[in-house]
Amino acid sequence: MSQFASQSLTDSSSGWKIDGVNFSYHGKAVLSEIDLTFKAGEFVCLLGPSGCGKTTLLRLLAGLAVPDKGTLAWRNAPIDGPSLERGVVFQDYSLFPWMTLAQNITLALSKAQPTLERKWRRQLADEYLEMVGLADAAEKYPYELSGGMQQRGAIARAIAIGSPALLMDEPFGALDPINRAKLQDLLVSVWTSASPKKSVVFVTHDVDEAIYLADRVVMLGASPGRVIAELEIPFARPRQRRALINSAEFQQLRRQIEERFQQDVIDRIEEDSLVASNAEGI
Amino acid sequence: MSTLSQTTTRPVVPQSRTKPNHVAPTTNRRSWIKGQEGLVFLLVLVLIWQLVSSASFSGSYLFPSPLVSLKALWVSLPELLRGTGASFLILIPGYLLAVVTGIGWGLLAGTQPVLHRLFLPFSRLASPIPPTIYIPYAIALLPSFRTAAGFVVFIGAFWPIFLNSAAGAAALPQRYRDNARILGLRGIEYLRVIVFPAALPHIFSGLSVGLVFSFIMLTVAELFGANAGLGRFIQLYADYADYPRMVAGILYTGIVVLFTTELLERIKKRALFWVR
Repeated sequence: MSQFASQSLTDSSSGWKIDGVNFSYHGKAVLSEIDLTFKAGEFVCLLGPSGCGKTTLLRLLAGLAVPDKGTLAWRNAPIDGPSLERGVVFQDYSLFPWMTLAQNITLALSKAQPTLERKWRRQLADEYLEMVGLADAAEKYPYELSGGMQQRGAIARAIAIGSPALLMDEPFGALDPINRAKLQDLLVSVWTSASPKKSVVFVTHDVDEAIYLADRVVMLGASPGRVIAELEIPFARPRQRRALINSAEFQQLRRQIEERFQQDVIDRIEEDSLVASNAEGI
Repeated sequence: MSTLSQTTTRPVVPQSRTKPNHVAPTTNRRSWIKGQEGLVFLLVLVLIWQLVSSASFSGSYLFPSPLVSLKALWVSLPELLRGTGASFLILIPGYLLAVVTGIGWGLLAGTQPVLHRLFLPFSRLASPIPPTIYIPYAIALLPSFRTAAGFVVFIGAFWPIFLNSAAGAAALPQRYRDNARILGLRGIEYLRVIVFPAALPHIFSGLSVGLVFSFIMLTVAELFGANAGLGRFIQLYADYADYPRMVAGILYTGIVVLFTTELLERIKKRALFWVR
């Protein structure tokens, strides 16, 4: 199981560095001693069950929350608040519902490129919408769009900010399988076409999604959230969905991941029963 | 038909054929009223009004019949329209001032914890005071009746608008706040582009309650010392014991309030089109 060995990377200076991070909420440990390093331009999936603190870790990376202990750094600078450097796409469609798609994107552009003239902003917004297949929906409001279309819009907005990092919190979690697959492919094509490549941290609980998308998968265990394994995904890009998912390597990787999660659950239960049986003696 | 076997063996068809014949007339009887219940209720009220006014008892002069009241309304329409003008000259500035200050200060207090803590004890103390009790003091304190009445209209509308705006701003969903922070929206821009629209559903409930309060404050203030206006009209004809005109004034005021709140409702529907 050498793939699970956590490697220390030397050429990571311009990516993410998470160092001894602890986070608790109402006295309950959510994240415990997280140490991770991701290269710039890497597509990382944080994979784990509910309660593993993956969303919290993403919020910490975004600068929307502050750790109790430890440090987080992006491009060698400590993360001390949200920034246009790091675009975020949330699961619940996060477009502002009182604005049209175009207005949502031009608002983002007005913050990311304040010197840009209004008409150029609009033209850029149209280009980004076209990129995600929403060219005809520019004047539509979010309530007029399906979940998948809203999430395309949210991706367009995150891309429009032009941030070198993209943080995504189960962005396709609420979509049906077909839209989900379409948006995964859209995301990968957007990610590959950008130069230099964006550093993506993508939170999911779907093993297939993680393997299909990621260069590297970080497995998080629950209560408290902690890294239980890290693995490189060796598949070459561009990846062909059908061929990949049917391949023996893919199936084996997925089995390994599922077994590792199961083992973690069993370990945790045994630890707990050990504590419980000790307590019974008191 | 307690068990499954009974239902399957016994033919149920004849029963179901006879049933609709019994049910049909009642459903028909219900259907013409359906959706018109409110109108029917109003007609019944007018009928009762007519009956009471046509009965002879001591004090029945206090109940002019619907027709007499309508005639009085027709005759006093020019005077009532002038009164409406005078009333709105007080209502509009007072209400608009409450709208601007209530929303502005409410959004600030709802987003800035410091301002919230600063203002909370005072608003707890001051907001439950029935604003009508300020009227005598306002009349004594302020240079003219118009400013005094405008002031109490402002007080009456301010609290519901302020409290609802603050609640709406404080209830801003986390995801909008996060997105705004990531986009770097701050200060006035954050309030204008994010907090204000997001709080609009709350703000509009404040505006509706505030509008009704303004009308109450206005008409009560006019009973005190106005020389024109809707409340003044009613007070005047009550003093003259001209009850048809007084009743006409009450009806007319109701219609004016109805139209004004309906106007606000229209604005609300347009502004909140994005709320599903």
